[in-house]
Amino acid sequence: MLRAIRRFKDKRTQKHGAWAHLFEKYEGKEVVSLDLETTSLDVSKASILSIGAVRITGNRVKTSDRLDIALKPPADLTAESIKIHKIRAQDLAEGIELRDALEQVLEFIGNRPVLGYYVNYDIRVLSKFLRQEFGFDLPNTAIELSHVYHDIIKWKHVGGDVDLRFDTIASKLDMPIIQRHTALGDAITVALMYVRLKHGDSSNLSG
Amino acid sequence: MPDSFKMSNLPFSLLNEREQKLLRSNLDLGYYQKGEAILQAPELSEGVYVVYKGRVAEVDPDAEDGIEHVFMHYENEDYFGGWSAIHGTTIHNFVAEEETICHILPTAALLELMATNADFADYFQQNLSAKSQIAAQQGEGQDMAEFMLATISDATLRDPLIVNEGTSIAEATALMRETKSDCVLARKGSRVGMVTGTDLLDAVVLEGKALETDVAEIAKYRLVTTHPEDYLFNVLVLMTQQQIERVVVMDGTTLIGIVQLTDVLSYFSSHSHVIGLRLERASTVEDLRQAAKGINALIKALISTGVRIRFTMDLLAAMNGRIISKLFDLVVPDDLQPHVCLIVMGSEGRGEQIMKTDQDNAIIFRNALMWPDMEKVMQEFSAKLISFGFPPCPGNIMVSNSYWVNSVDDWTQKLQDWSLSNDGEDQMNLAIAVDAKPVAGNVALFKVARNWFLRNLHNNDIFFSHFARAAIEFDTPLTFFGNIKDKGELDIKKGGIFPIVHGVRTLALEHRILKTNTYERLELLQEMGVLGEQESEDLCEALGLFIHIRLRQQLRRADESGSGIDPTPNIIELGVLNKMDRDLLRDALQVVKGFKKSLTSRYHLSS
Repeated sequence: MLRAIRRFKDKRTQKHGAWAHLFEKYEGKEVVSLDLETTSLDVSKASILSIGAVRITGNRVKTSDRLDIALKPPADLTAESIKIHKIRAQDLAEGIELRDALEQVLEFIGNRPVLGYYVNYDIRVLSKFLRQEFGFDLPNTAIELSHVYHDIIKWKHVGGDVDLRFDTIASKLDMPIIQRHTALGDAITVALMYVRLKHGDSSNLSG
Repeated sequence: MPDSFKMSNLPFSLLNEREQKLLRSNLDLGYYQKGEAILQAPELSEGVYVVYKGRVAEVDPDAEDGIEHVFMHYENEDYFGGWSAIHGTTIHNFVAEEETICHILPTAALLELMATNADFADYFQQNLSAKSQIAAQQGEGQDMAEFMLATISDATLRDPLIVNEGTSIAEATALMRETKSDCVLARKGSRVGMVTGTDLLDAVVLEGKALETDVAEIAKYRLVTTHPEDYLFNVLVLMTQQQIERVVVMDGTTLIGIVQLTDVLSYFSSHSHVIGLRLERASTVEDLRQAAKGINALIKALISTGVRIRFTMDLLAAMNGRIISKLFDLVVPDDLQPHVCLIVMGSEGRGEQIMKTDQDNAIIFRNALMWPDMEKVMQEFSAKLISFGFPPCPGNIMVSNSYWVNSVDDWTQKLQDWSLSNDGEDQMNLAIAVDAKPVAGNVALFKVARNWFLRNLHNNDIFFSHFARAAIEFDTPLTFFGNIKDKGELDIKKGGIFPIVHGVRTLALEHRILKTNTYERLELLQEMGVLGEQESEDLCEALGLFIHIRLRQQLRRADESGSGIDPTPNIIELGVLNKMDRDLLRDALQVVKGFKKSLTSRYHLSS
């Protein structure tokens, strides 16, 4: 709710800005699968390490049409996040500035819906920095992979909670996991799972 | 694209770094559910598809009777759609047999890669002989042994004996004796020259030089050199061309050693000349048996040394022929030898038997020959051959069986009868017999019968049509790749070797070609314009591949069996093949399929 109000306000303030088209209703059929690797799971503390994204058209994951950005190392690159992502400061030494990265992301996704696994987290982190740099939140429609999965699976799943862990979903869908813990790899894996759910036969899935 | 695409598989491994980058940046992933058509004729193809997960069947869109005709299965990094991408539209349907994910390389990128990389382009032209050559150049490890020839560094390099300027002929000779060298290298300033034992003799005896003469004066400074990575085979050629026996091996400017002709020869033939010598010298059956027993070891040595399969076949055919004719000489009394002729038939007659799988032989004797002991002697002959390790023929096509011991007249009559019969066994007997080659006794007896038979076979269309039919009888198993897990093996004799051998045999017979070897027949058929150059080359490659893959598995099974005999000589276990072998095998079977099709139309065999 709060997000909707903010978005409405942003749309008004950006009406004549360079990013006005982001606020228009999307008419196409593409979806962008997006994933961020960050330094913290707490949005207020998180810095972005890398961003990966691919477009999806129909049954096709357009890995030829992708975004694979490493950012300049933030001051707070801690040992803990290194453990999760296996990204070390030296891997990011060649990275680009935050503002450039955000511009590329906006350019790439346009007003397409954004798909991800726990995508709201990624959107909130992006929004935090977008507001800081450009004065608005990411306005795009969000598609949550685990919801898509849950909606299909729940009909076969009587009682109890559906296990929505990333690796569980991947293995239930019998999808290969491509380069876990790289932003682009996760974005592609999520994209494949999404295509599988949207395009494939769900009758052979079990809870 | 991250690491999901395997660049190490042919033909992608042919690309250089820049090209691989281009490829990666152009790949998409496509998802297809079970039963979904990935490509449908006559759709425009988007590019090349590489299976990441799942299985795809290539099917005939015009299949009648509602039964889908599956040409081929693709899975596990196999690629398809290359032909369609290059030609624009697809003529077959490609259907996901299970849930499938493919990498897709768009046509534009494919064409760009083909334009910059000739090998890659050749590979996509779907031409078997080009493919196996490229695969050969890529050669890796033992698997490629056939194509790789051994290099100099594998063979015995001799340490050179080097002396400085000012060393006398007498001193040099003493040194050579001491180090058991038969040549010496003499330094003169920055140059190095060679002096051989013969040079020393010539200098002293013929030219009357004093023993104090400096060897540097008589040395020859135009050394023939090579580098350590050069093929031994090239060295042999070099020695033959230059008529020399020693080549100096240099790594850049460093002298590494000397290769001698005797070393090269013994390395190549491994024990072959030893066995050959023993065969020639054998004066008793027991000597011969001992020599014959060494042949399996020789085959292994040849294969692991990297001698080409055709050379191996030729050498073994020659050796087996010598064993058989030697035994014949020892068993058949001298005074009777001019009156009988021993022939070998089937794969032995064609010179294509590597592992001894069976013996097919027969006797042709002069009309009205009186030889009461013949049957007994022939029994003995067969029994001895069996004891040498030539397994008995399951069809009993051996001289111990009187059916295969005939006078010239009876033999020609048999050939004639078989050729007029519709009976399957008669047809098979004829097929075996037309590959006959005389190995001992009086060759003229064999020729008389053969020539008579060929004359009378003139333009008999019905015969050829009937004879050819066997070549298309067995199904060529192109769809087996989908079943690797279930079945995992195929009979390569039925599926690949026999159709080629028999088809070529039929063509050769029709065109009165006297050669019995399939390769030689193919070469002649090509010269006569009966087969196209490409078709003939592809058939040669396909046959060589089948025989080579089969041989590797035969050797392994023979080793494992304990008895030294492979219980299933014609089975290829698909599970142990690597990706490249499977690719080549599939292409080779495709060649067989095409050949069967052309036989079908040539001899009106529509089934």
